[in-house]
Amino acid sequence: MKHPITMPVLSDTMETGRLVRWLKKPGDSIKKGEVIAEVESDKALMELEAFQDGFLAGPLAQENSDIPVKTVIGWIAESREEALAEAPQPETKPAPEPSKATSEAAAPVPAAEEAQLKVESQTGPGALPPASQPATFQASSPVLQAALSARPTESGGMTPLARELVQELDIDPQTLAPGADGVIRARQVLAAALSAPAPDLRYSADYEIKRPSGLREKIAENMAATTATPMFQLTARVHLTKLHDLAKQRELSLTLLMARVSAVTVQKHPLVNAVWTPKGLAWRKQVDVAIAVDTPDGLISPVLRDVAGRPLEELAEDWRILKDKTQRRRLQPSDYEGAGFYLSNLGVFPRVLWFDAIVPLGASAILAVAAADKAGRCALTISCDHRVLAGADAARFMEDLSEAIEKAQVD
Amino acid sequence: MADEIFYWQALNRALDELMAVDEAIFILGEDVGLYGGSYRVTEGLYAKYGEWRVRDTPISEGSFTGLGVGAALMGMRPVVEIMTVNFALLALDAIINMAAKVPFMSGGAFPMGLTVRMPGGVAKQLAAQHSQRLEHTLMNVPGLRIVVPATPQDAYWQLKQAVLSDEPVIVLEHELLYFSKGQVDETLPPPPPHRALCRRQGRDLTIIAYSKMAALAEQAAEKLVAQGIDAEVIDLRSLSPIDWHTCAESVARTHRLLIVEEDCRFAGAGAEIAATLTERCFTQLEVAPLRLGGLDIPTPYNGRLEAQTIPQVEDIVAAAKQLFN
Amino acid sequence: MDRDQALAFLHDMTLARAFEERAAQEYMQGNIAGFLHLYPGEEAVAVGVLHACEASDYIVTTYREHVHALVRGVPAEEVMAELFGKSHGCSRGMGGSMHLFDAERRFMGGYAIVGETYPVAVGIGYGIVLKDLPEAVICFFGDGAVNQGTFHESLNMAALWKLPVLFVCENNQYQIGTEIHRHSAVPEVYKRASAYRIPAERVDGMDVLKVYEATQHALQQIRAGTGPQLIECVTYRFRGHSMADPGSYRPPVEVKAFQQVDPVEMALRELSLAYPSPEQIATAGPDCLLRLREYCLDQGHLHEESIKDLEQKVQAEVEAAVQFALECPEPTMDDAWDALLCNRNGEVLT
Repeated sequence: MKHPITMPVLSDTMETGRLVRWLKKPGDSIKKGEVIAEVESDKALMELEAFQDGFLAGPLAQENSDIPVKTVIGWIAESREEALAEAPQPETKPAPEPSKATSEAAAPVPAAEEAQLKVESQTGPGALPPASQPATFQASSPVLQAALSARPTESGGMTPLARELVQELDIDPQTLAPGADGVIRARQVLAAALSAPAPDLRYSADYEIKRPSGLREKIAENMAATTATPMFQLTARVHLTKLHDLAKQRELSLTLLMARVSAVTVQKHPLVNAVWTPKGLAWRKQVDVAIAVDTPDGLISPVLRDVAGRPLEELAEDWRILKDKTQRRRLQPSDYEGAGFYLSNLGVFPRVLWFDAIVPLGASAILAVAAADKAGRCALTISCDHRVLAGADAARFMEDLSEAIEKAQVD
Repeated sequence: MADEIFYWQALNRALDELMAVDEAIFILGEDVGLYGGSYRVTEGLYAKYGEWRVRDTPISEGSFTGLGVGAALMGMRPVVEIMTVNFALLALDAIINMAAKVPFMSGGAFPMGLTVRMPGGVAKQLAAQHSQRLEHTLMNVPGLRIVVPATPQDAYWQLKQAVLSDEPVIVLEHELLYFSKGQVDETLPPPPPHRALCRRQGRDLTIIAYSKMAALAEQAAEKLVAQGIDAEVIDLRSLSPIDWHTCAESVARTHRLLIVEEDCRFAGAGAEIAATLTERCFTQLEVAPLRLGGLDIPTPYNGRLEAQTIPQVEDIVAAAKQLFN
Repeated sequence: MDRDQALAFLHDMTLARAFEERAAQEYMQGNIAGFLHLYPGEEAVAVGVLHACEASDYIVTTYREHVHALVRGVPAEEVMAELFGKSHGCSRGMGGSMHLFDAERRFMGGYAIVGETYPVAVGIGYGIVLKDLPEAVICFFGDGAVNQGTFHESLNMAALWKLPVLFVCENNQYQIGTEIHRHSAVPEVYKRASAYRIPAERVDGMDVLKVYEATQHALQQIRAGTGPQLIECVTYRFRGHSMADPGSYRPPVEVKAFQQVDPVEMALRELSLAYPSPEQIATAGPDCLLRLREYCLDQGHLHEESIKDLEQKVQAEVEAAVQFALECPEPTMDDAWDALLCNRNGEVLT
């Protein structure tokens, strides 16, 4: 039977030791208490004594190497034969697991970095294997509990920064809605400052406040956020007849064909597909078109991906799925976020001659399609982010788009 | 190119360079000479400068620190090593009643170029009498300067500045930092000894820490990135005076303040930091400052319990998240 | 000395040596942490002094105190478990190697700040006088501790009020790495006591019988109400100051010389009926364990086999202590708070 020799812990701060040299070689007889190696700790050069009688056996750790404490560096065999019998194993192979009795004493050696962490966190006798370490660090750690013991106990109220902002921005605190934890923070004040002044309902007829649906609230937030976008509009008159006929012929919706023609044109005018970011213009590599859909909950715009690059049939199938998801309220953010171009079609309202739409955050343009008159002509209005598109850019795009629509160039 | 050396080597280098040019500097303490210092800080200096400039003292903290006061009064620059901060309790009369008071009581007639170095903090299972942090006691003494270098570079700079200062300076060295490594560039101009250092810039939260906890705070800040929190980490470097300007400027930007200290939380250094920054930055705070400190309990010998009595990286991460609830 | 007494000495000294060697081993394997100060070489002091004490006497000691606890009767399991930081350690895992306590055995603690034992012992002595009991307090300290202010302050008070304190200097001649001639103007510690008119004597601290007899004599005086006494035991530690210290500042020839006088070995020899011949002394040297063993052999107290039996018995004791410590549960944070609030007596703060 062989007993492991481990890199000893020789001081309170020692994490690794340098095995300076072996004073014995495999097969040499050693006595308990005899010095068998020299080890350099962080503090001094120390002698490593044998804990028992026997014969030094390999594999021995390399001289002049730094070794984490408690790592097996050699063995003591009970007979010379045993000590010499063992063919030396490659140095790189992890040391064999010590026998049961000693494995309890010498905890498994963690990797060097882990040892570092371990030492920071826990240096207990009978150190636990790393696997059970995290138990020490639950949210309920005593240190954390103590730190949190003196948190403000009352919910509600306003933080000092919020109060300062309320004064500086001259906001009526009555109009502020607190956050989820009941506290009014800077975020709520800033939102109030950027939003339109709240309507003064003091002289209004009797009313009842109802929280809007989540979707409507989100739309309100998004739309309010676009007030920072400098916008302009441009309207064109276009004959829809050909495209209409094509839609009937191929049994596709006119909206889908509009999206397709737009996407193909956008591809030729990549600036329309770009968007302004604080770091610079983001140029997109494919045209994803969002199509506004009216639902009982409010407006939502599912996105068709790569509308210029894929077969119409495939787009038609995608669109069917998206509409279905919309009806069943199953849309995921990945279904309605990230479009580069928007389309809003109010063609089902014949008396609406024309309208313009608001450019949503994340895009630079939205196309508003009104109903066609008896002659098959309709008003197309594009709203643009002026930071990205100038009037002439938009005009050139609309010229090309109108021509493509009138010629029904869907490919 | 600056080389990477141990923290103790940085201190050793600072002492060696100064002693080579200024004969008014001498070291005294228990086992600083022949033995080379318990943490090797004075290694080799005894051989180089002799026993009169590197003096092994008896175990008489009160008197050999007082000796340092006397020598400083007549223009010497003694560097006293107290083996651990815990033994400094025996030298508090010399530090508080003498070093901090005599220049003042004499109407400003005497210099006090005394430096007192002391290792401290929770190391590894040294039990309650050897694991203390005394910054709170010393911070409350006008007339003392206290530096808390956390890196070899700061150890090198701040010890040099301390030795050359005419004010009494306490250098608090964390026992677990002696064998940490870092670059030391002797050619760089040092910042003022009390200047706080921004170890990591961030927008969302200011974490103020010192000594070993500064490194932990930095590790926590890196972990917080994954939680979407961009934390600024300020290493105070000095506990008296404190660089309030750097701290306040940061809090005014982030509006959130977390203080991490190893010392007991009750009436600790963090209490002063939280109180002053609340006063200075009150209208800039989005949430009450949070102090994460050591438990108010003597340090248990048992290793697991010991770890539970002082902040760990995970605690800092959790505490930071609390400020964004 | 009778046979039982001699055997008791031999058992305790052998146990002390085996316990400490095993503690070193457990430290190197990471089961014991922090600072670990070991006693080999100095066994004759603790064994000689504590065997001369009554159970009603109080013991105040330093951070090198495992053996004092063992000799005082604290079970080896509880001492080892404390070194391991476990909940059934004699300090419940809160104190560790340097802070062993056992109220029941009047073991008033290991103190890790040099110079703390004197005032504590003086306070206990004061209490004994107030209670008018025939008890005494034993105050251990090292040679390095005599330059602490508390030494002089406490000796003065003890002498002034004739307190029943036996000051025992374990003079191992080193204050960590500083040899006594480099730390003390008067290296004969016992001479310092004369400044306070405290009777003092210097004994060979490698010789358990001499330590025992000196202690007996001193305690007789103390119990007679004549005030404090001081014994300086000149001894030697075979290891460094703590595990972190190789002790390389000591000349090898000095270490060798003292190893020759290993107190445990020496104890054997010294217990011999016939005075040892000069040759025997020359070969045995002062190791107290060696001496005692030889004495017992010569006396017919022991045969070679019984020495083997004793060693095996002691090894088994130490092994059992380690097993106990390994299996013992870790203390919890609740245990720590209980320890802190142990004197609150259920008071609830509102």
